[in-house]
Amino acid sequence: MRVPLSWLHDYLDFDLSADELVNLFSLRSQEIDGVYRFGVTEGDVVVGEVVEFGPHPNADRLFVAKVDLGGREVQIVAGAPNPYPGARVAVVVPGSVMSDGTTLREARLRGLQSYGMMMSERELGISADHGGILLLDDCYEVGRPVAEYFPVGETVLDIDVTPNRPDLWGMIGVARELAAILGTDYRIPEPSFEAGGKPTHDFGLRVEAGDLCPRYDLRRVSDLEPGQEAPLWMRRRIYAGGMRPINAIVDATNYVMLETGQPIHAFDAAMVRGGIVVRRGRAQEKITLLDGSTRVLDEETLVIADEERGLVIAGVMGAEDAEVGEETTDAVIEVANFDGRNILQTSQKLGLRTDASGRFERGLDPNMVSYAMDRVSALLTRAPGGRVADDTLSHYPEPVQPWRVPMRLGRAELLLGMPVQVDEASGLLESLGCEVERTDGRLWATMPTFRRDLRREADLVEEVGRLIGLDSVPEMLPAVPQPGALTEAQQKTRSLRRLLADLGLSEAITYPFGPERWTEDLGLEDGPIGIENPLSAEGGYLRTSILPGLLDAAARNRAFGARGGALFEHGNVFFSDVPQDDLREAALRFRMTGEVGAQLAEGLMGVREVSRIGVVLAGTVRPAGWNVPEFRAGFFEAKGLVERLVPDARFVPTERTYLHPGRSAVVMVGDTEAGWVGELHPEVAGRFGLDGWPVAALELDTALCQPGPEPRFEPFFNVPAVARDLAVLVEERIPVGDMLCSVRDLPGPLLTEVRIFDVYAGSPVPQGQKSVAFGFTFQGEKTLTDEEVDAEVGLVLSRLEDEFGARVRS
Amino acid sequence: MTVSERIEQLKTEALSAVATGVSTADLEDIRVRFLGRSAELTEIKKSIGTLSPEERKEVGRSSNLASREIEAALGARTEEVAAREQEERLRAEAVDVTLPGVPSQRGHLHPSQIVIDDVVDFFVGLGYRVAEGPEVETDYYNFTALNIPEHHPARGEHDTFFLDEGLVLRTHTSPVQIRTMLSQEPPVFVVCPGRTYRNDNDPTHTPMFHQIEGLAVDRGLTLAHLKGTLAAMARHVFGEDAEVRLRPGYFQFTEPSVELDISCFVCGGTDPNCKVCKGAGWLEMLGAGMVDPSVLEEVGYDPEEYTGFAFGMGPDRMAMVKYGVPDLRLFFEGDLRFLRQF
Repeated sequence: MRVPLSWLHDYLDFDLSADELVNLFSLRSQEIDGVYRFGVTEGDVVVGEVVEFGPHPNADRLFVAKVDLGGREVQIVAGAPNPYPGARVAVVVPGSVMSDGTTLREARLRGLQSYGMMMSERELGISADHGGILLLDDCYEVGRPVAEYFPVGETVLDIDVTPNRPDLWGMIGVARELAAILGTDYRIPEPSFEAGGKPTHDFGLRVEAGDLCPRYDLRRVSDLEPGQEAPLWMRRRIYAGGMRPINAIVDATNYVMLETGQPIHAFDAAMVRGGIVVRRGRAQEKITLLDGSTRVLDEETLVIADEERGLVIAGVMGAEDAEVGEETTDAVIEVANFDGRNILQTSQKLGLRTDASGRFERGLDPNMVSYAMDRVSALLTRAPGGRVADDTLSHYPEPVQPWRVPMRLGRAELLLGMPVQVDEASGLLESLGCEVERTDGRLWATMPTFRRDLRREADLVEEVGRLIGLDSVPEMLPAVPQPGALTEAQQKTRSLRRLLADLGLSEAITYPFGPERWTEDLGLEDGPIGIENPLSAEGGYLRTSILPGLLDAAARNRAFGARGGALFEHGNVFFSDVPQDDLREAALRFRMTGEVGAQLAEGLMGVREVSRIGVVLAGTVRPAGWNVPEFRAGFFEAKGLVERLVPDARFVPTERTYLHPGRSAVVMVGDTEAGWVGELHPEVAGRFGLDGWPVAALELDTALCQPGPEPRFEPFFNVPAVARDLAVLVEERIPVGDMLCSVRDLPGPLLTEVRIFDVYAGSPVPQGQKSVAFGFTFQGEKTLTDEEVDAEVGLVLSRLEDEFGARVRS
Repeated sequence: MTVSERIEQLKTEALSAVATGVSTADLEDIRVRFLGRSAELTEIKKSIGTLSPEERKEVGRSSNLASREIEAALGARTEEVAAREQEERLRAEAVDVTLPGVPSQRGHLHPSQIVIDDVVDFFVGLGYRVAEGPEVETDYYNFTALNIPEHHPARGEHDTFFLDEGLVLRTHTSPVQIRTMLSQEPPVFVVCPGRTYRNDNDPTHTPMFHQIEGLAVDRGLTLAHLKGTLAAMARHVFGEDAEVRLRPGYFQFTEPSVELDISCFVCGGTDPNCKVCKGAGWLEMLGAGMVDPSVLEEVGYDPEEYTGFAFGMGPDRMAMVKYGVPDLRLFFEGDLRFLRQF
């Protein structure tokens, strides 16, 4: 809502700068989105009379004028040709500051001295018109400041009105609010006019769709002078209020809308056939609107029609057919109240939001209609000189009555956490338009019907609190009767993330939706869940894997010159879990109403979310340094991370479409699959823009990771440990991991550590075999003798011989 | 020359050789030469048996004395030379200490997560638990249960992503509050961090972003408790000098509703050209309010017995403000040039 401050001064007296007003309004009522300035912000504008006017001798497109400023003649160079001797103009005095911050100075223009400037409507903040110099009529006295007739500068506050306050969509409502904040009075114009125009009842009024139209009032204003422009003061307010001046009749309706918040429509009476009918749209009914578009209506659209055709999509926009125009001399004025919800739906359906629909959709007060009707009637008797009918047709079968809401002072103090005095609370509610009585320890407030948002005690408490000032609320900490803690799962997720960051990876957070090609490029079979209204086709499907988002990120980094990188992300992936047909109805009911019925809520969600952690190592993760080799993405680099995240994991070779068939494994925890690790299939890497780069990745269910297993003490003895190495030859196909597990499983407490320190195939190892070198550490309760250690190594060897056909490499 | 004289002569020779020995190897040669198995002094000692008893005593004593003296000199000299040699060796091993060390790769946590962890830790310290919920929500939990019924104008402002019938990507973490209250009796003290979604994309809006909401329901909770709690949090995150102020706000699920600003932690309101607060001195930080009685009723709590407060903040925006990031979209591109700064 745009609030021109000069206009606001009509309703109440205040002495606050724009900044003070912004601050006060934000702290007590609504946020201010912006402050706009128009016209001349500092300095003077004087009425002048053109004495001479002609072309500039040295410039084709310039003109020069001699202007009388009231006993003083000055020369002014102009850019527009429309002034003429005898015309009155607004001249801005040198030294004045314009709303854009520029200061006007006396200057020489193409060799001629120019004093000030003759102003256009735009330069004075009257309208957007910059086509010529504003010519004033004769009632403007030469030499007087223009500001005596209308403000030459304007400051406009743009209030960000919250949806619960439709009463603030009009200047009067804003004035009432400011008066309540300042604890002062406000005044509203008393509409007065003489009736005696042609009767309204020449036309009929039939409201067929009463459910969508609680109130509809119609009044005729006849004998209008055609083709009139609204008076300058009205046009400049309409312009400052954010609308476009059109003609005297339309401007009067818009002016009253800006003033009261009540949208008003004017029909050209000559074009209305029979009478006004308020009805639902008919199937396939079409209407061509003022903006030139043709809309197809349906039964949910409320239409204002005459006996023959639709004239207006109610509350949204009119058709050209019966619109008032240059020739209109007789108008029928509609001031009505429509169902806000229906207007919102219509406006959304048509993709058409207007000043009127935006107000109706919030739900307006039907009792506002009478005042708005009188006010627009009064204005129409002035500039376009109309005569108002004696009668008004009105459909208002169920007048809205004020309602009473009780407020307990103790409750207000409890919710607000500060003392509230009964007189103060009562006075504040009265300043908002309530009538307040005190009985049985409560304040009973009778609501003005324009405050439809005030229904309950809590609503009143809010009003009292904000008007007292929330800065008076003290700061206190409540006693929390429980110990705070993260759950085990939350703690685990955090450990996982910190562990990966400690290991040198960077945490990414990517959008969990992407294009359909994500699934195709990965060669996944399961169809992902689609978003019905994605931002773009690039974000139409929920991810079923963390991988594609990280691959896109890696490709992005590559595109900007990175040689590689290590990224991880923790987040959810989404799987379709469509309820069976017989549960579909129950599922829909659950989703809309929360009712579970006999089923478990999980089964009715239709989506399974799984918490995952994903890693992508791409390219040269770390380039070589003078003292370290480069670190490149590879299977074992990724596997090393898995071994930290899931220490008990087993690795089983796997074949997945998106992974290198020989360099990928499923990660097993017991019998449960916890995820996978592997090098990316080069084909897939190519599709993601990573061709030629080594890429290794992993993805694990966070629930199955064990980043910090519970420590358990194992006793040890303070005797020297003995190290031994053993190299054996086995067939090349034997998995070394199996050998390692088998050795670890050996009974006996002496073998404390096993590692593989070399795996080698090729000459001199015989074809088809490989050499595997183990390093052992033995330790016992007492110092081991060579014989004892030999015996232990012998046990290991014989197990390797038995199970894997190994023999000692000589 | 008598044997004793010879011994004396050998000793003098030996001591002068030791004194001129310049390396441990030299000194070892000298030791072998004068004290080794075939050294003359050793030979003399071996031949003592062939001497007369008087000579035996005299030669024995003087040869032993000579050996001991030579050894002592050797020992002292060797120690001296070895120390010098070691020092020379270490000097030769000197490195260019300005060369980089063996790198331990540094990783990075995401800036939004840093803020989330920080805020969560603060509330856990106060006694709050952390509640989580699904990102795909039902229409009911995301809207209706929060006092936003079907066709309510407030729904239009949520820019919701719709999925299958009745399912949406949650537009806020508020449904977690409902799920929490439905699953337990008061007192409730929880924070709910998580990803949320709205169909919007510009420098300050991304289709996915984070929220942290908090909910407290107990007997006797007031707006003053809300203000005190959030002021303490602001001081934890933005520094001890942070001030907060409340302004009226509007949310469907709180009444009264408030907006909370924190004083600009960069300029404290003293710099009219401050880049962070744009001269306002205050930064809009979060929305909050007393839980609407109809929301309490919806989950089966008695609003006459219990009151509560709820608040919601955007950790991404907090990170933008805290670290001076101009564009929210940078947060979700996985760009290492961005991530490595945190």
